[in-house]
Amino acid sequence: MNGTNRSANRILLSLFGLIFMGVGGFLVALAAVPAVGSWWQGWAKPFSDDLVQLAARTQLGSGGSWIWIVVAAVLLALVICMVGWISNQGKGRASTLASYAGSADDDGASGAVSISCAVAEQALKNALMERPDLLSVSVTSFDFRGQTGIRVRVFPRQGVAPHAVARHISGLVESLDQLLGVQTPVLVSIGSGARARFTKAERVR
Amino acid sequence: MKDPTELILRRETHSSRARPAIVAAIVISLLAIYGLLESMLRVLGQPPWLIDPLTAAQRIADLPNGISAMLLGVIGAAIFLVGLIFFCNGVLPGRRARHVVPDPRVAAVVDDGVVASALARRARTAAGVTREQVVVVVSARAVQVNVRPTSGISLDETRIQGAVEDEIARMGLDPSPTVTVQLSTMGVIGV
Repeated sequence: MNGTNRSANRILLSLFGLIFMGVGGFLVALAAVPAVGSWWQGWAKPFSDDLVQLAARTQLGSGGSWIWIVVAAVLLALVICMVGWISNQGKGRASTLASYAGSADDDGASGAVSISCAVAEQALKNALMERPDLLSVSVTSFDFRGQTGIRVRVFPRQGVAPHAVARHISGLVESLDQLLGVQTPVLVSIGSGARARFTKAERVR
Repeated sequence: MKDPTELILRRETHSSRARPAIVAAIVISLLAIYGLLESMLRVLGQPPWLIDPLTAAQRIADLPNGISAMLLGVIGAAIFLVGLIFFCNGVLPGRRARHVVPDPRVAAVVDDGVVASALARRARTAAGVTREQVVVVVSARAVQVNVRPTSGISLDETRIQGAVEDEIARMGLDPSPTVTVQLSTMGVIGV
């Protein structure tokens, strides 16, 4: 649960995949089919000759041509786009769970109440650490479509019934709702990590 | 707008494709940085590092000549494979090995490994065997329980099946898997 733009990921991956497949397939065809080779030479030769002439005509004083500056600028823009794409992955951590602005004619005092995400995170975490059948608990908050959501990831010991864990957390979240007076979307993710695999199953309950 | 819980569950049971996206971005960035280097060397009038861009364009233009057909084919096939991996990552649904546990308040997902170990525990108590004798494999729509009985003690297959199905019904998994129990014909001794 985070702000990663998944459809953009898929569209860009498909697009680059198609481009790579096209180039690779064409190279294989060039190597394997002689007719494709002669067609390509006839088609691409005028372009490369034009390019050589253009580079010669646009010569700058220092020996280079300005078309290389244009090429460099385009490539630099591409690199910047790629860095932007990477930095968009996994963004969206939130810090404020809920905020409420009071006004003087509403409750007699103007001011604002804001509840930090740390309140919910630490309350849930402390409550869950008391269970002996959970090996580790992590609680984080995310911005999800304009509202704050809480993500609870727990790693139970081997053999613990997941629905019991989910029901317990659900009960905790309901009491947290009553405590804070706001309902936020909550995700409970019950996982099995390497640590769960290598520790002993719980024998006695 | 749809219920946020449904959206969250959909996002949690499908891969975000963040990792292939990062790999693709790095590959394309490296290619672009190399092109940037060569064209800047050209602008500054310095000798090229590996190949001058103009010479490269001419070489590409008369391609099947100047390189062995074998090498060209191998390079093409490698590029094609990389593209195929990216394309499949973009198009395939990418379901993660997780199930949804219904709950009125929270959105809950369970890794298949957790489901498997809970079912193994239940099957083990129903069959009365040790931990090592039960192996459970959970996939999206099927649960396979493999039990190796203790030598000389016969096990009741329907009882194990009933116990595992009861546990799955209690979990209320979505999608709901079907159970097959496989008793090994060979028993184990010394457990």
